[in-house]
Amino acid sequence: MLALLCFLPLAGALLLLCLPRASDAVLRLVALGVTLVVAGLGLALFLGFDGELPGFQAEFVREWFALAGPDGTIPVRLHLGLDGVSLLLVALTALLMPLVVLSSYGHVHTRVKEFLLWLLVMETGMLGVFLALDLVLFYFFWELSLVPLYFLVGIWGGERRLYATIKFFLYTVAGSLVMLVAVIALIWKLGSASVPDLFLHTAALEPTTQAWIFAAFALAFAIKVPLLPFHTWLADAHTEAPTSGSVLLAGVLLKMGTYGLLRFGIQLFPAMAIDAAPVFLALGAFGIVYGALLAMAQDDLKRLIACSSVSHLGFVVLGLFALNSAGLRGAVLQMINHGLSTGLLFLLVGMVYERTHTRQLERYGGLAAVMPVFALFFVFTVLSSVGLPGLNGFVGEYLILAGTFEVSPAWATLGVSGVVLGAVYLLTATRRMLFGPVVHAENRKLADLGAREVGLMLPLVALSVWIGVQPSVLLDKCAPALERILERVEDARFDARLANPAAEDVQLR
Amino acid sequence: MSTQEFSAAFEALTAPAARMALAPLLALGVGVLVFLLCDVVAALRAARAPVFVGALILAAAAEVRILLGERAPGLVFDGTFAADRATALWGLMFVGATLLAWLASLGYYRENRPFKPEHDALMLTTPIGMMLMIGARDLVVFFVGLELLSIPLYALCAFRRMRQESVEAGVKYFLLGSFSSALFLYGAALLYAAAGTLSLVELAERDLSAPLALAGLALVAASLFFKVAVFPFQLWAPDVYQGSPTPVTALMATGTKAAAFGFLLVQLTPILPATGRATVAVLALVTMLLGNLGALVQTDLKRMLAYSSVAHAGTLLLLVAAGMGAPDEHGALGAALYYLGGYLFTAMGAFGLLGLLEADGARFTRLESLRGLARSRPVVSALLALFMLSLGGIPATAGFLGKWFVFAVLVDADMTTVAVLAALLSTIALGYYLRVIVVLYMQPPPEELEPPRTNRWSASLVGALCGAFVLAMGLFPALFLGLLGS
Repeated sequence: MLALLCFLPLAGALLLLCLPRASDAVLRLVALGVTLVVAGLGLALFLGFDGELPGFQAEFVREWFALAGPDGTIPVRLHLGLDGVSLLLVALTALLMPLVVLSSYGHVHTRVKEFLLWLLVMETGMLGVFLALDLVLFYFFWELSLVPLYFLVGIWGGERRLYATIKFFLYTVAGSLVMLVAVIALIWKLGSASVPDLFLHTAALEPTTQAWIFAAFALAFAIKVPLLPFHTWLADAHTEAPTSGSVLLAGVLLKMGTYGLLRFGIQLFPAMAIDAAPVFLALGAFGIVYGALLAMAQDDLKRLIACSSVSHLGFVVLGLFALNSAGLRGAVLQMINHGLSTGLLFLLVGMVYERTHTRQLERYGGLAAVMPVFALFFVFTVLSSVGLPGLNGFVGEYLILAGTFEVSPAWATLGVSGVVLGAVYLLTATRRMLFGPVVHAENRKLADLGAREVGLMLPLVALSVWIGVQPSVLLDKCAPALERILERVEDARFDARLANPAAEDVQLR
Repeated sequence: MSTQEFSAAFEALTAPAARMALAPLLALGVGVLVFLLCDVVAALRAARAPVFVGALILAAAAEVRILLGERAPGLVFDGTFAADRATALWGLMFVGATLLAWLASLGYYRENRPFKPEHDALMLTTPIGMMLMIGARDLVVFFVGLELLSIPLYALCAFRRMRQESVEAGVKYFLLGSFSSALFLYGAALLYAAAGTLSLVELAERDLSAPLALAGLALVAASLFFKVAVFPFQLWAPDVYQGSPTPVTALMATGTKAAAFGFLLVQLTPILPATGRATVAVLALVTMLLGNLGALVQTDLKRMLAYSSVAHAGTLLLLVAAGMGAPDEHGALGAALYYLGGYLFTAMGAFGLLGLLEADGARFTRLESLRGLARSRPVVSALLALFMLSLGGIPATAGFLGKWFVFAVLVDADMTTVAVLAALLSTIALGYYLRVIVVLYMQPPPEELEPPRTNRWSASLVGALCGAFVLAMGLFPALFLGLLGS
């Protein structure tokens, strides 16, 4: 099942490769069909998943090859499996893909075949990252997923696409290659590449070794998220990417970073995560405010949303490194929420760009009068993104801030200011874009959204409301997995106290 | 020589083990002679190509026999030459490189076609030299192999003698190559003076810490560093690689490099002093840095690949650093074989396709002339892009696992800092590999220029074969790792 889910898009890409490029419609139908089947599989997985069962589920294991390690050979397996966290991200990916394919009808008219091909390859890469339970396989998918996006941005992107795509690639690869050394070191030290095995044995490593490996992993993930000092690639890549690329970047690719932090940072090295938590909390909180300030200064709508991603992902990091139940739940929920609402925002920006061919806010104005349906969707999405109670964003942000407040009221306070700032820049942008008089004559005759455009957004809108009203649908699936991660963290805390009783005395006083 | 001595020598030559060890060399040697004979007799001209391929196939079969045989011959000829599973693997690589380079050269030469048979005969001589180099257990035998490889290459580099840059490449390679041969001989002489033997097996057992012996080792290593083009002996590489005919460049970049690194890793590394480890590691990192920075500013794809080959030599030198002073305990040999095997197919494919494009004018090695090639030549562009990704070490290609194994050796040898530095240096490399893909796929074709249109089945075959191997080595490594696990 998981193998089918993961490799079906790749098979679809190979099928596309064999089809003639004559008829775009056929190619699009094939791609849509493949992604729909994958989405169906993802939905089936989601519904059939029982969060209470321990360990990874629906595992798929095949031998791949063997590495010669220091003590005998280390088998490398095609090992896929799910827990509650990866389930949600897999479902999100599977859900977004058909919508991305549908959205590409509007803005991709050249080299359609290659475009769809790279989209499908990318789906396999993204699903693989979330499903891989073998560290080599994880790294394999992790780096492989860069290539399709490199092409998507570089060929179908905006004016500065070449600069953006190379910057994006080099930034991420620099982090990945350092991680590669850490991956090898970890596998060598523990004599296994299987992630569940590694979980059992990492605590036995020397603390300095753990710290170095954790640092290398964290660097790669921090660049991907992106955390504060590494965020500059994001605005360029997002802005220059075609709509489909932006949706995938924001919706799924950034989550690879936060997923990595959770799975290979916190779960794999709980002791290190506890030590590093203050740094990450600080970076997350500053990221929230800095991203928001950046967004306030933008005149380009797409760039504004890109900067808002820095801010939103700051929340996720804040929640992850609160290292408590509420924080982790909020973080995972917020990963999904950000995928939905930012995905929607990028889709909407794409739609308005197809009509006006500009993304400058000053070139809009009063669009609500001309495009009422568009305005409705836009306002809805903005409200979900700023965290209006009743919609999805609220639940995630609330849980994160509640979790953070338990450990550090200061960072939580800074985080809250980010919520306010978020409302400021998003609502300001909404006002400048939608309301007031129609300033520019060429905007008077814009067509409102068509059936395809409304249809492809409806599932995301429905989910946003549903999660807002009943977040337990998602939380029930992922909470047991998160509790297991927290148990590891508690164990590590306990060990640390045993090792250093003096510190405990200080804390007690 | 008395009759007794003569018959003893004859017996040694014809002993079963010796015959088995010698078979690949004999197949190629006889192949060269028959090839030349066919060229002289008009009636036999049509048989030239089958003879060329046949000789290579026989040599490959002989190597396979050693590889899969119950008992490898081991040391033969009074311990001066060895044939075992490892040398057989290297030998297969040399045969493959020669075959692919020859395929790529079919139809490549326009102006001096009449001399093509000489070209082929010279090319068929080179694997003999490479095999001798890798099998040598004696410095003199190695030297014979080195010259048997180098002298045909001097001529091949200058083969397009109507072109100034080709002649210049030949002369440059010849002068500097002779210089490095002299270095080698001087080093070997010093070693002999210090240790009283030229046998590598015996040298490995001697104490080589005396200054004289160390000087000898350093000179021998320097001459090999020259052959593989690592700092500070890398300056000749870009000019020679760019000026030589592209199939010859391909052979130099893959075969010569593999042979020299093979000897360096198998024979020399264990007797190099472990104290020099840091020095060699620094040399390797500097080589990577210079190669990558050099490649970054090139506007000509062929020259860029030359610099990239310098950078790859630096990566391989890291393996030498990791293995110094001890028998192969970190698996550096296996890593080198996989890395070089991957590099062989990648570089051979890239140079082969470049040779194909060059048929429509030398300007098609320039990056600006390749703009938008994906529109007019989708398959060639896709393969070139694949080779670039493999050179950059992106997963699903041979280059990724090669890089993986190199880093694994470094981690195993407690050289993690070096590994991290090497990882960061490889990021620079991706900068220029990606630029090639940008040019091929993301820029509009130049309007005033006709796109290249020549199609040659031979070059396409090289590209397709190499592409298939690059993907197979990246996706199904088990197929190849099984061969290494001895």
